[in-house]
Amino acid sequence: MGRRRHLADAAGALPEAIAALSRSLPAGPSPEIFRRAKFDRPEAAPALWRLLFRVLSLLRADRASASRAPEAQARWVKAALRAQGYPRLGLARLPEDGSQGSRELLLALAWLLAREPLPERLLAQTRVRLGDEMPVCECGALASPGQPAPRVDTAGPVDVRRLQWLMGKLRFRWRNLMASQQEQCALLGKIHAYTRGCHGDRSLGHLSVAETELLRDPEGGRQLLQRLESENARLEAALEWRRRELVFWQWMDTVLGACPPEASQPTFPPRLRGRGRRAGAWGPVAWELQALQEELQAAVGARRAAWAARVGGQGPEWSAARQAAQEAVGRELAALRQAWARGGGRAQPHRPHRLVRTEAGGPGGPGLRAAEVIGVLRSREACLEEMLCQLQEQCRQQLARLAGALPGLIWIPPPRR
Amino acid sequence: MEFRKLKELPVQVVIKQKLDDRPIVRNNRLGCSRRLVAELQDALDTCAERQRQLEQSLRVSRRLLRAWEPAETPTPEPTPGPETNEEAPSPACTPSPQDLKELELLTQALQKAVHVRKGISKAGKRDNASSLKSGSIATSATTAAAPHWASQTKLPRGTRQATRPAKGLPKPRLLSAGDQTCAGRGPLAAKPGPGLRDPQKAPSAAPQAPEAFTLKEKGTLLQLPMAFRKAASQNSCLWAQLSSTQTSDSMDATTSSKTQFLQKMQVTSGWPSSRLSAAEVEAEVGRLQKACSLLRLRMEEELTRDPKDWMQEYRGLLTLEGLQAIVGQCLHRLRELQAEESGKEVPGCHPRRPHSTVLTEVVEQQLGPWPEERPPMASLPCGGGADPTWSPQLLLYSSKQELQTLAALRLRVDMLDQQIHLEKVLMAELLPLVSMQEPLGAPQLALCRAVHSLLCEGGQRFLTILRDEPAD
Repeated sequence: MGRRRHLADAAGALPEAIAALSRSLPAGPSPEIFRRAKFDRPEAAPALWRLLFRVLSLLRADRASASRAPEAQARWVKAALRAQGYPRLGLARLPEDGSQGSRELLLALAWLLAREPLPERLLAQTRVRLGDEMPVCECGALASPGQPAPRVDTAGPVDVRRLQWLMGKLRFRWRNLMASQQEQCALLGKIHAYTRGCHGDRSLGHLSVAETELLRDPEGGRQLLQRLESENARLEAALEWRRRELVFWQWMDTVLGACPPEASQPTFPPRLRGRGRRAGAWGPVAWELQALQEELQAAVGARRAAWAARVGGQGPEWSAARQAAQEAVGRELAALRQAWARGGGRAQPHRPHRLVRTEAGGPGGPGLRAAEVIGVLRSREACLEEMLCQLQEQCRQQLARLAGALPGLIWIPPPRR
Repeated sequence: MEFRKLKELPVQVVIKQKLDDRPIVRNNRLGCSRRLVAELQDALDTCAERQRQLEQSLRVSRRLLRAWEPAETPTPEPTPGPETNEEAPSPACTPSPQDLKELELLTQALQKAVHVRKGISKAGKRDNASSLKSGSIATSATTAAAPHWASQTKLPRGTRQATRPAKGLPKPRLLSAGDQTCAGRGPLAAKPGPGLRDPQKAPSAAPQAPEAFTLKEKGTLLQLPMAFRKAASQNSCLWAQLSSTQTSDSMDATTSSKTQFLQKMQVTSGWPSSRLSAAEVEAEVGRLQKACSLLRLRMEEELTRDPKDWMQEYRGLLTLEGLQAIVGQCLHRLRELQAEESGKEVPGCHPRRPHSTVLTEVVEQQLGPWPEERPPMASLPCGGGADPTWSPQLLLYSSKQELQTLAALRLRVDMLDQQIHLEKVLMAELLPLVSMQEPLGAPQLALCRAVHSLLCEGGQRFLTILRDEPAD
């Protein structure tokens, strides 16, 4: 009796778990679709294609893909999954018109869910922001590390004057940006000051722009409230999913079992890449590492020579000290390696902070002080300026060398500011 | 030295074109600078996007600081009488007789405060502090005493009719109180009385006096609607719960079943499992990039340090050698990744791989499945708060200047990052170009001058080239 009840409970728990999952995802299909997908029913396929597309495009923050046709969406989904390392070939073989393959799509969805907390991540990306926020993190928001979309508009050679013009345009845009930013800060400061004491939450103390806007514009406020409430619903669904998901994984095992095993093809390299696609991306990193290596070689060589000349009388305490030094340096370098290791450096504040205006002398509550952040930014600025100057100096020297090779010319550098 | 006019020499530079496209230079033109233009264009687009977002926020903020349209005033006022009594939006709204009595006492106290303040200000002391204090007392009392009529104004109820008369209510009291500066505060404190006791009377008794609402004068009177506050607090509560389940994710059964599932997926699939996905390769290249800059920083630090004794000198030497070893390892890893990408043979991996690329292509045709199109890797979704365990963190500032400094520094750091990146790209593309020049014609010199300004002066200043010829 108990066993039957347990089974009945289990039978009820699965649809609920799937329903919770569905509610927590954007464009989540009904549990019935999932059930049909287990039996590879064709009618379940389109909904799953749409879901995968929505989820993946949100994950990759790819805004441009929203308006594609279903076939294009299916292709995009395949490519995106492959790029993430999806192991099964079966997905690749599915027709793109959405007529079949729901079981394979279900497996793909489960694969994404197993790798990372998907509902939470999606919710975090589309989170309703109530405060005025400023990112406080290390990654440069504007620098694109080597991956510009290759534009093939100028197929022919480019005039250097065009480059100069583009650089000037960029400088101008920066100045504009700076001016607008200053104005925005001034306005924010005013709004925060004028709405002192209005917020229910004592630690915040004043309203943000979004909150003031909702008071000014009731219609907009209602929309904001709706968004908040739907986010709350999704959050609750995500919590419920977390509680119940074990049942889902047990069920997915059966789904995987129901699939016929794939013919393995170990001998052929599955990579499909255009040749030279990554030529641009490898270049800078390799170039920099090589330059660094050369510099280090020179430095080490010089120091070794100096050290060899220096090393005179060595007593018994010398080897002990040497050992200690080696260990210390080894530890230091190991710590340095941690800084770029996989998953390392997560402790840094990597999130936008809500701006809160406080009185200058007050002790304040929990939170980051602007003065500290300013200090950190100043040192970073100095560091980057130093780096830029060094690069420019390098260029100057190299060009001077070339100039020296051309006789009969005088090169007058511009006056330094 | 005489400035001679440089003769116009027709120059033709012909360079043999190799398979990997070498730059061709004719006059001022740089062949194969697609990458440069693409990078610059990308930088321009990022700036434009950021400007667009800033301007949107500016529009909103400016609008908030102007006088608000009458139809859009905040509604911390009761809705028109009959509606209020019929709808009774929430049980907390209907005031009990106990509450009413307390409110009466409170409003009497507040009215007394108003009189006191009036006396003080009439005595000629325009003391902002005291007015603020009494104002804040008034406001806090108001907020404490009347949360319910704030909730009555659950966003829009078509309260336009009500807002104007209710807002107009302060006006006559305003004038009678004779206190110009703290205009809104005193009368508002007196309002709960008529507002609640005679809900019918309040709207009809009020004259239609359109006084515009400005944030500057009356910002502290605002109050967020109850529904919103509830939703917001529930929101932060749910997020906190979610992040706590994240951190306590050592739920063995679920985690182990997930790992098992992933393993089974891998095992039953057709791919060899040791390949890295494109995403992982990207991530690794990014890490190597970061490693490079950190290593360089460390090297600079070590080189500028002045050793005081032999121990420090020895340690410096060891550090540099250690750095050299690490750089070597990074380069090796990079080469491995590169080789794997292009399908070449790397010693120690996949011994059974066919060598010829022709066969590979044939096989690709057969497999056919994976589409060629590779979705562009979005840059780190940093600003999006992608960390699921995000709980709201505060950044406290104390003055407009501080905020402006902070924002300006952030922008400057981003700009420098971008400049350094562009500088490296320029160096990689332009230096090889210039070093190949032999003839000394005017166009070549103009090119050199342009390249120098781009590389060394950020395109802002130019050097001068003079031809040094003896005067005849």
